[in-house]
Order: sequence, then structure tokens, then C-alpha cells
Amino acid sequence: MNAVWTIAKREVFSFFVSPIAYVVMTVWLLFFGIVFYILALVFAQQPGGAESNLLTAFFGGTTLFYLPLLVFTPVMTMRLLAEERSSGTIEPLLTAPVSEVSVVLGKYFAALTFWCVLWAPTLSYVWLVARAGKNTVDWGAIGATYLGLFSVGVFYMAVGLFMSAIARNQIVAAMLTFLVLGGLFVLGLAGYANVGDEMRAIFEYLGLWTQMAAFSKGIVDTRYLVYDASIAAAALFLSVRALSSGRGN
Amino acid sequence: MIEVDNLTKAYGDRLAVKNIRFSVKQGEVIGFLGPNGAGKSTTLRMLTGYLTPTDGTIRVGGIDAIEHPIEARRLIGYMPESVPLYGEMRVDEYLRYRASLKGVRRAALKSRVDASLQLANITDVRYRIIGQLSKGYRSRVGLADALVADPPLLVLDEPTAGLDPNQIRQVRDLIRGMAGQKTVLLSTHILPEVESTCGRVLIIHKGQLVGEGAPAQLRIAQEGRQALVVETRGPRETLDAALKTAAGVRAILDTAVMDGQGGAPLLRYRLEVESGDVAEAVFAAVAAVGCTLRELRREQTSLEDVFASLTTADHAAVDAQPTEPAATPSSPDAGVSS
Repeated sequence: MNAVWTIAKREVFSFFVSPIAYVVMTVWLLFFGIVFYILALVFAQQPGGAESNLLTAFFGGTTLFYLPLLVFTPVMTMRLLAEERSSGTIEPLLTAPVSEVSVVLGKYFAALTFWCVLWAPTLSYVWLVARAGKNTVDWGAIGATYLGLFSVGVFYMAVGLFMSAIARNQIVAAMLTFLVLGGLFVLGLAGYANVGDEMRAIFEYLGLWTQMAAFSKGIVDTRYLVYDASIAAAALFLSVRALSSGRGN
Repeated sequence: MIEVDNLTKAYGDRLAVKNIRFSVKQGEVIGFLGPNGAGKSTTLRMLTGYLTPTDGTIRVGGIDAIEHPIEARRLIGYMPESVPLYGEMRVDEYLRYRASLKGVRRAALKSRVDASLQLANITDVRYRIIGQLSKGYRSRVGLADALVADPPLLVLDEPTAGLDPNQIRQVRDLIRGMAGQKTVLLSTHILPEVESTCGRVLIIHKGQLVGEGAPAQLRIAQEGRQALVVETRGPRETLDAALKTAAGVRAILDTAVMDGQGGAPLLRYRLEVESGDVAEAVFAAVAAVGCTLRELRREQTSLEDVFASLTTADHAAVDAQPTEPAATPSSPDAGVSS
């Protein structure tokens, strides 16, 4: 467990001394700032009870929420293991007395830390709405929203980590992550295609399309939590396998 | 400390390492010698657990390294060949990270990092960013990393690559200084390195062990072949004839004209001679035709020659060589001048 912490700490450190972290954070904040501004303008023209609706819309009412995630997630996760492999630092790492499980968990917790750091500034939007709005903010819904966000992170970071474990280099890792997450997302959009109700429910569920819509309204749907956690567990397990089978080559 | 038996690594159909078997005793400094691509790094990587062997067993300090890899790796300080490091970290940060990864306790962290910085002689760069260091410093950071957890076994893959002559001497002194306390297994394709640091040499070629022994022993195995260098001034035809017929000379290996200006040319011959002392006979032969001798010395068989003959000959010849009997000496005089 000590090794997990050591690896995670180093990974977080190295992410935040790299320029990529600041590029990602700047673009991220700029993008979400603009989205929030536009939504605020729209909701400001509507009468009464707009504050909670604004946050609900921001955190899951629109495709604008997921689309940037499909781009940012691969950029955040691509380096995790692929960079170690291409620069050769994986050799000292895997010849240290630590298990593959520790390596994977260390990297994963580091990735979850990036995720949380990226979302942290959005708390200021909540603060803004609570301060400037006429009605009180539904704090229960806010709690559910951030739980949902974390759960999406649990899913996306694990998939990104797995792709980074199997890809030969960072670019391939990013592409694979984008393809898988994007593919699932598009599947979720199939809800709009002319398919049956049951199929549509399944697709929306798989693609996480409806997850944030539910959580941002304050509905904690445990099916999503279970789904996110099980995909993450599978991806982490496969990452461990990918690392140990790499020793055969 | 290390027992390796039947170690084999296959990449598809290609065997990178074939049935290697050797053992290293506690406190020994052993050199792993071979041309590039011979399988040195592959063997070391299997030993350190980076690669899983296709077949065979590895025991490190009595622990089965394949069954209990983490326990075995705890005993090893490994410096990989190209010394991959995190360029964005400072030397001090990196060594702290590595020490804590290797299970050094928090209380001992600082003293262990200080000690390894000192041993590798890089205390002056401890707060520098690794990515900005020269190759010599980087490779010594790798060495400090290998030493940081104070492991009983050091596995160093080409530890002096990229160092300047002074740094090479330092690293050699360091390795020699550890003999007795630590077991060291180092790989290299530089011969003086093994001659000056290792008590025993394993020569590996095309994935197989082709020679083993103390550097001096290996040299003796090759003593059957000797050469004599003769530098003399005189007419070439006369000298050729005189040297060819001198007792104990088998053949003229090559002739070089050192100075062709003026009267008689200055010539340098390399003669293949029989074992024993042939120098006096050569001197007599040169003197008999009235030529002057400038230099007469025996070419010392270096490990380089041993290495070359073991690794360039095809395999049948390699097996025969160490047992090849010395040619019958024609002049049994003792007292070799070199």
C-alpha cells in the first residue's frame, strides 16, 4: 500500500510539472466557463427557479458536458503507462520490489486526482449561483452531481489507464481511449435513433449519456454507480494483466 | 548469491538466451562479457525480474526469483542499460522516490539518499533536474539508484557507458571497493573493465556461455598463440629470408614500412612464433645478416584476443580452443622478455 501511495504521488507531481497539465486545465476552464456563461444567459431570461435548473443543465443537460470529456480524458490518461514504456522508465519501475497491482493502483489514483483537480474549480460556479441567485441552491442535488462526476471519472480514468497499458505509445493510447469512450457515447446517442424502448434504455445506460442527467437532478441512481465501478474494476484488472504479460516480451 | 540453471529466453522462434547456467558466490565481482546482442541484457533482465524466462530457474539469495519475484527483487539493486530516468524530477527527489519504492523506511530515507549520492559522487548535482544533466551524471544517478536501498546484490548493465575516463576510473574503484561486501554482476563489452574490476568473467556469445574463468586464466588458455614484434632497419628481402628461417618462427603475420626514406627502410614485422622464448633466436638472425634492431618485444595476449577468438570463431572451434595443447616449444629458455 505504501508503494501505491509513492507511485501515485510521483505521478501527480510529474503531471503538474509538465506543461500538458496547464494546457489541459486552461482549455478546460475556458471551455466550461463559456458553456456556463451561455447557459446562465439563457436561464437568466426565464422567470423563477432558474438557479437549480442552470446547474442541472450545466452538469448534464447538454452534450456540451460529455464532448469535451471525450477529448480531455485521453489527453490526461495517455501518459500514465505508455510514457513509461516508451521512455524505458518502466524497467526500473517493474524491477523495484513492487507488484503490478501497486503500479496500476498508484497510476489510477493519480489519474483520479487529476480528475478531481479539474472539476474543483466548477465549485465556484455553484458558489456564484448560490450567491447571485434569488432562490436557494438544492445542496442535495449538488452533492449528487459531484458524486456522479466522480463516478464518471472512476469509469473514464480506468478505461484510459488500460489503453495506456496496452498501447505502444501515447498517441495510440489517446486514440484508443477516444475510440472506446466516443464509441460508447455514440451508442448512447442511439437513443435518438429509431430503436425500441428497451434497447434505447440499454444504450443510454452503456454510454453514460443519461448518467449526469439523473445525478444533476439529485437522483442517485445506484445502477450507474455499480456500472461505473464494475467497468473500472475490469479495466484495472486487465491493466494488471497487460503489465505482467509484458514481462514475457 | 545467484544460481542460474538452464535459463532460456525465446522470442518466437529466436532464442535470445540458450540454457545458460552459472552461479555467483556472495561477495564476488563477476563480469558478464559479450559482443552487442549476445544476450547479456536479456539475461540480466531475467535475473532482475523485468523479463520472465521461457525456461529455467533463477535463485537469488536462496529465493526462487520466479515464484517469489518481489522478495527476490528486494535483494537486487539494478541499473538498466540505457539508464532510463524521469527527466522532470530533481536528482534528490528521484532518489527519495526510488528509495521509498524499494521499501526504505521514512526515518532512514535521508541518510540512504545522502550515502548513495556520495558513493556515486553526484552530491554536487543533487538539486539539479535530471533532464538537464549530462550523460555521465545521468548514468551515475542510475548507479545511485541501484545503491540507494543498500541491497546485497548489484546488477549493473554496462555501468561505465557514456562516462569519461576519469569517471570510469571512479566507477571501477567504487565497484572494486564493494568486493567482499556486496555481490556485483556487471555486463560490459569493454575488456579492460573486466580485467580491472572482476574476479571472474563469463563470456556469452549468441545466447550461450562460451567461456568462464578468472581474467588471468582465460588469458593463459590462449597462450598457445603468440606474436613477436620486431622493428629493424635493413633491406627487406634479406630480412624476410632471415626472419622466416629463424628458429621458432612460424610465419610472418604482417610487415609495415615505417620509414622508407634514405638508405635501408625501417620495417616492423609481426611474427607468429612458437611458445617459449624465440626472441634470442630472432635477434641472432637479424644480427647475422648485419641489420640493426630497434625494437623486439612480445605482443601480450590481452583478454581482447581471447574475447575475439571466443566470439568470432564458429562454435566447434570455440569448444576446442581452451583445451588446445600448447605447441611444442623449440627453445625452452625461461625468462620472457616483453
